[in-house]
Parts: sequence; C-alpha cells; structure tokens
Amino acid sequence: MNDSVLILSIVSAVAAGTPILFAALGEIMAERSGVMNLGVEGMMLVGGVTGFWTGVQTESLVLALAAGALAGGALSLVHAVLAVSLKVNQIVSGLALVIVGSGLSSFWGNSGDSPLIQRQPGVNVEPLLPAALRDLPGVGPILFGHDAIVYLSWLVVAGAGYFLFRTTPGLALRAVGEDPAAADAAGLSVTRIRYLFTVLGGLGAGFGGAYLAVAVLRTWQAGMTAGAGWIAVAMVILAGWRPWFALAAAYAFGALRNLGFTLQIAGVDVPSDFLNMIPFVATFIVVVLVSANPARARKIAGPAALGEPYSRESR
Amino acid sequence: MTVKLSVAARAVPSLGLRAGVSVASLLAAGAVGGAVLVVAGNDPLEAYRTMIDASVNGWRPLTRTLTLATPLILTGLAAAVAFRMRIWNIGAEGQLYMGAVAASGLAVALPAGAPKPLMLLVVLLAGMAAGAVWAGLAAVPKACFNTDEVITTLMLNFVALSFMNYLIFGSVSFWRDPAATFPEGKPIPASAELPVISHRLHYGIAVAAAAAVFLWWALRRTSWGFELRAIGDSRPAARYAGIRVRTKVLSVLALSGGLAGLAGAIEISGVIKSLEPRAVATELGFTGIVVAAVARLNPLAVLPVAAFLAAVVTSGSRLQRIGIESEIVFLLQGLIFLFVAAGDFFLANKVTLARRADQSQAPVLAEAGRGSPSGE
Repeated sequence: MNDSVLILSIVSAVAAGTPILFAALGEIMAERSGVMNLGVEGMMLVGGVTGFWTGVQTESLVLALAAGALAGGALSLVHAVLAVSLKVNQIVSGLALVIVGSGLSSFWGNSGDSPLIQRQPGVNVEPLLPAALRDLPGVGPILFGHDAIVYLSWLVVAGAGYFLFRTTPGLALRAVGEDPAAADAAGLSVTRIRYLFTVLGGLGAGFGGAYLAVAVLRTWQAGMTAGAGWIAVAMVILAGWRPWFALAAAYAFGALRNLGFTLQIAGVDVPSDFLNMIPFVATFIVVVLVSANPARARKIAGPAALGEPYSRESR
Repeated sequence: MTVKLSVAARAVPSLGLRAGVSVASLLAAGAVGGAVLVVAGNDPLEAYRTMIDASVNGWRPLTRTLTLATPLILTGLAAAVAFRMRIWNIGAEGQLYMGAVAASGLAVALPAGAPKPLMLLVVLLAGMAAGAVWAGLAAVPKACFNTDEVITTLMLNFVALSFMNYLIFGSVSFWRDPAATFPEGKPIPASAELPVISHRLHYGIAVAAAAAVFLWWALRRTSWGFELRAIGDSRPAARYAGIRVRTKVLSVLALSGGLAGLAGAIEISGVIKSLEPRAVATELGFTGIVVAAVARLNPLAVLPVAAFLAAVVTSGSRLQRIGIESEIVFLLQGLIFLFVAAGDFFLANKVTLARRADQSQAPVLAEAGRGSPSGE
C-alpha cells in the first residue's frame, strides 16, 4: 500500500465522519440534559432534504446548511414537547420521530414536477485554505485540504468540550442530566434546559444531514442517510458522552467505510458486511462492559437521569 | 383575569375516554397529513378516499391488507409483551431477520419431499428459536448486569442486517442460489410454503391471530402473566413480593424475540419464499412498535391495529398511480404514532382550562403529575 492511498483514505474518512460528528455532538448535548432522542436518523433526513432543497433554490451553502439545521431543530422541538412537557416515553417519541422524519423527507424529495432526486445540489463546497498549504506533502491534504465545515466541526468540538466541563452553564446542563431534582432545588429550570439542549441536538443532526446531502453525497435520495443517524446514536455511547472522543469515533467510523477498499489493495479480503457491523458490535460490547462493572466504569457511563422524565411531584 | 391550564393526575381512564383519545389522535394525524398533502398540491380527501378504496374495498384489496397485517400482528405482539413489563425491546427488526435466516436455511436444507405439516412446523419453530436466541443476546446481559436493553437490542438490529446481507450479497453462502445471475436466495421447496387462503393471503394470518389470543390469555389468566404485569407496574414491589425478576426478563425477551422471529419465518414461508434481504428488511419490526403503541399494549387490540396500519401502508402503490407520492403513507404512520404517544398524556392526566383567581395556587397547578415511565 503506498502513501497516496493512505492519505486519500484519511481524507475521505474525515469527509464521511463529519456529518455523523455533527449529529453525535448534538445528541451528546441533548443526552447530557437527560433527554435521549433516538430520532437522530429522522432529523438528519429532514435536515438533508431541507438543506438540499434550499441549496437548489438559493445556491447558497450557508443558507442550505442553516435551513437543514433549523428543520432538524423543528423536529426535535416535537420530541421536546412530548418527552419533556408531556412526559411521553422517550424511546417511543424518538422512534416516532424517525418514522415521521423519513416519511416526510421521502415524500418531499420525491414529490412535484421536478423532484429533488433528479437535481444537482446547486452549491459547491470548496477547500478553505490556499493551494500552497494544501499541496504540502503528506500533512497538506490531511490537515489543510478540507472545506470550511470540517474546520467548523473542530471548533464546535472544542467549544462543546469547553462548555461542558469548564463553564457554569455546562455544569448546570450536566447537573440536570445527572440529578434533575437536585438541579431543580438549586434553582435551575430543568424544563428550560432540557428544551434548549434537545433542540440544540436537533440543530446538530439537521446540520449534519444537510452537510451530508449537499457536500458529501452531493445528491438526494430517499433514506440517503443509510443508518448514519443510528451510528451517531451509537457513537455518543462509544464516546462516553464526550465531544473530543466523538471526534475520534466519527473519524474511526469514516475510516471503516473505506477500510474494506484499503485492505483489498493491501491484499486482505474482509467482507464489507463485517466491517459494517463494527460500530454496532463495539457499542454493544461497551454497554455490556460498563453495566457489568458500574463502579469502575462510572467515568464513561451516561448521565444518571438519561431517559427519565422529571416532574416535581413524583419525586 | 387569566386563564390557566390545570393538569392533574388521573387514576384509571374510562373506556369512553380511551376510545375518544384514540379517535382524536387518528383525526389529528389525518389532519396534519392532509395539510402536508395540500402543501404538496394534492387533494387530501381524494387521497384518503383512494386509500380506503385500495385497502379494504373488495376482497382482493382486503387480502393484500391482511397479508401485510400478518407479520405486523406478530411484531406488534413482540413489542407489546416486552413493553408491558417495561422491557424496551426495540430489536424486533433484527430478531425478525434472524428468524427469516433460520427458516429459509432449514427450508432449503431439509429434504424437499418431507411431509408438509412436519416441514412447516420445523421451519416456523426454527424462526422462533432464532429470534429468541437473538433477543437472548440482549436478555442475558439485562438479567445479569441490568444492561440497558434499548441500546443492546437496537445495536443487534444492524448486526443482524449486515449478517443477512453477507449471506446473500457478500458471499456465496449456503443460502445463496448458485444458479442465479444476480445474488439471490435459493427458493424454498413447495413443502415449506404456507398454504394459500386466497390471492396472496396465506394461513400465517391464522397463526398470528392465534398468537394474539394466546398472549391475551397468558397475560390475563396465568401466574406468568400476572407476574409480568406486576413487574411492569412496579419492579421494586414485584421483587418485594418474591417475584423472580431475572428469570422473567429472560423468558419475556425470549418470547418477544420468538414472536418477531416467527414473523420472519412466516414472511419467508408465506410471501417471499427465499432469503431476499431487501424483501425481509422492510421495517416490519419497527412498525410492530407502532402497532403495540397504538394498541396500548393490549394483545387483542393488536389485531385490528395491525390491520389498520397495514391498510394505510398497502394503499401507497394506488396513491402513486393517481399521482400522489406513495411515501405519504409512511408519514401518516409516523404521525399516528406521534399523536397516539402524545394522547397517552391526556389519558394519564386531566387537563382543564381554569380561570385563575388566586396567584398562590399557580405553582401547584403548573406541574404535570405523572409517574415517570423511566427507561428502567
């Protein structure tokens, strides 16, 4: 295997991992507040179709991504109403979001005289940095060759990590996810914080879906996420609800996508179906190991009140 | 003068209220779906009339609806029995795949000349066993370490999907037909096919209906069912009463997985007739969760609800013919799910509009009072 293949697979791992990274970061924030939203796949699909449509109409990348994020946020607001205010089971509500999101996006994308499925994305995604940097041997393509959104994702990861562990509002968010009753007693509004970060999670998923459609796949088709939203859900657990680990996990997943191809060049034939299983098997193993030894695994276990609605009266 | 929503916990909702909330949920889903159709430039009334026409008007549409209802009854029961004990098995999808893999494998492996009743019995039981074992992969950690089954069962879905794809698309396995140009499964022998009632409708519907009645009886009339419901209502109380929760987790998840696996076997034996991953992986397992939720976990209610949701989905192709994108049926299904879930709140709480005279009452009224249906 020569170096250019390796560089190429790293670059495409970053591209494939970035949409999932945004979705996973959003879900980390939502779950840190105690709200599990299994609807990531649905929010990404709605974000994808909205972003793609906006890109076709406006030919603006910024508008396309913003519209996708808002669409994901709007769908997550439904989850917030159901899960936080109406105290509906979060699993049920999240799964409902997946079905609604995938049905709505497929209906919209396939409808009309000139359906999105036949369209070009309308926007171009260019590398951010000058060619002189990009053409540096080795590190050039890997560090400097990406589009602006990839660098944005690095900023978001750093910002999210700082926010969660180094700021007072971040502490408030984690408190609401760990012990809402104590947070409530301390004067925090559990409802407001959960609404805010559930919707933030939806914005992340919608943004990731829009980026996937207009920049990575550059085409729209029904069910275009092909399970990326579910991988984001798994990735939150693999990353131990930590933004930096999510970055690593997202790129590792991106690398898996190309690993079969890379291995084949290296003369090793591993069926791609088995490579596809890896994120899910890894998550399964992590969840079992953490639960088998909760005392030692406390640092990488999820928020204690994850999935539990909070109401003052039923304490 | 201000008007304030007041919310108070309700003990047991009356039958009339339950029916009213269900009807209101369906109407709300229909209204939102109709609004989407209007925005897309379609006539919602024409769409709904066509859907009724395509799914229940006449014997042939009815058989199509019931054919699709068959696996949905079984996956609906799979979700209902587990959810009743607050075990969130969302892995029916993968358990169904493994049932299909086992059933098609045995159907091809056994001598084609074997007597039909024996063949069918073996094939369907193999599907059940495979589904139960696949659910067991999540049930054992749940019983031993209280591992969150939401994540484990969910992850196993994707593992099962990749495994099934590997058998047909990723390798020349025992399941794959070596004579076919394109990757496809070996056709099962006629002796492994479920007998046909009419058109495509097969006797799997009788098996599914029997399973619903059996489960209803088991939940109502056996000590196993009583203990299951006790654990679902309060796990600490059940444990205090001496009910062995661990063994119950194993048996309930095995039964749930077995029902989903049976759905996979019946799809192979009655409809698909070879291991065809794209025909098996049509979200029948996930839709079962919708069925169970709309049926409010009642096994007998699963029967009409599965038929109703099957009618919605099966009418998609007719809508396509009159120029309405067929995906609207999946949106409608999701909306029904969403509004029924929201309706649960109104069953558990009494919501009234009240004039607020005294400011001091506000904090008491502001919070919704409902026990927390946790992920536990």
